Parts: sequence; structure tokens; C-alpha cells
Amino acid sequence: MGSFYISEDVTHDGVVVLAAGGEIDYEASPHLRKCISNHLKAGSTRVMLDLSAATFIDSTAIGVIANSAGRMSEIEDGSLTLVCPSENDKVLQILEIAGLPAVVALHDSRDEALTLLAGDT
Amino acid sequence: MRGQAQPVASSRSSDELRLRAQPSELKLARDYARQAATAFGFDDDGCYEFVYAVNEAVTNAIRHGAPDARGSIRLSVSSEADRLMFTVRDWGRFATSLESSASTSAHGRGFALMANLVDEVHLRIEPEGTIVTLSKICATMCPS
Repeated sequence: MGSFYISEDVTHDGVVVLAAGGEIDYEASPHLRKCISNHLKAGSTRVMLDLSAATFIDSTAIGVIANSAGRMSEIEDGSLTLVCPSENDKVLQILEIAGLPAVVALHDSRDEALTLLAGDT
Repeated sequence: MRGQAQPVASSRSSDELRLRAQPSELKLARDYARQAATAFGFDDDGCYEFVYAVNEAVTNAIRHGAPDARGSIRLSVSSEADRLMFTVRDWGRFATSLESSASTSAHGRGFALMANLVDEVHLRIEPEGTIVTLSKICATMCPS
């Protein structure tokens, strides 16, 4: 495994916060898929994926995010939210070229995302 | 910052790198591309874009291609004037991934990203395998 890592947290509001860092490539994307999938199976409806510390994200990982967002949109009150600050311009550029903001809500910070998620409930 | 250790199965000649057709080899492909792009004179953004496209091409070869009898796919870098070229060769058939290259599919997304980040993506399907060549002009090498 390269430099990929993922950490998991749950806020007091029940939002699952996943922070994926390092290089998210085809070796890492199955781990990301499994992590999100496990939370869905456990009944989580709101997942936030923070890419602030990601240095690289390939098309297979973007596919995992898009597919997960699709799955979550079928769950009542389900949502997948993405965080990628403007300072992480390289990853942000890739997400935009791939058209991900059209299918997943993208926020500049965790606070911004969590405020909006709290407002949804 | 980055480990340079190479697995025993990988070998490098002057401008060619053989990698095992496994996801764990992608980091070596990126390191190889990064070194070539840096040496050619690409700036930070240009390097990132070149490496990104290379990673997509090699990922495709690992996912959908087939290795040679030794379990390898073959990567090479060459240059022509202000262009840096990267080639990945595998021994499988790429046709199925092309057929499903709608922009929403994983393949389509990978191709769209590659096409956006380099100047040319060339795909050659031969009876014995597939060759993908990426070509990127180095603007920082030849100021107008």
C-alpha cells in the first residue's frame, strides 16, 4: 500500500466523517469503497468524506465516490458530502474535470459541510 | 520522501520499465513518470498532469489488459522536440473498455481525465496487445 490512509469518526449528530489522505489510487480505492459500504450496512445515512489531506485521487476512487453517492441518494435522508478545500487545488481540479460536483455536494471545509448537514435534519 | 525501492520483479533499462500487472505497482509507475517529467523540464503543474495521465493509462492496462508471459506490462518514455511521450503496452484487448467509454462510466472518466491533462492520447490495438501513448507538450521548456 502506498501513502493512502483513512480515519473514521462519528459526530454527536451521527454524521460519519471519513478523512482519506495520501494517494487514493486503484490500490487504495477498494479500501475506500469497503469503508463507505460498511457504514451504509451499519445503517449510517449521512457520510462526509474529507479529502483535505489527499494528494492524489484517480478515476477508480472518483467512481467509488460517485457510486456511493448514488447508493446513498436512494436511502431516505441519505447523503454523501465531500470536503475539499480550495488550497488542495490539484485534487479539486481533478474532481472538477471528472464532473463530480454535479453528483456530490462539495464543500470547502468540514464546518461548512457539517453546518449544512445539521440544517438538513 | 518517496521510497525508491523496487520489487525484484520490476526492472528498468535506460528508458523502459517493466512492472508486474498489479495495483501495488502503480506507485512505481508514477515515480517513473514524475522523474521523466521533472528531468524534461515540466513545472510542478505539468508534472502532476503528466503523472496523473500516466497513472490512468497504467491503471487501465492493469485492470483490463493482460501481462506478458513473465507477468509484466511495459512502460517507456521518449521525447520529440518539446513533447514528452509515455507508452504503456499490455498483451490484452482494450476493445471492451472502449465500447463502454460513456463519460459516466469509470473507463470514460479515466479517458476524459487523460485527454484533459495531456495533449494527445493515442490508442493502438494490435492482435497481440494494446499500446496507449500519451503525449504532452512542455510549455515551460519552450517559452513562446
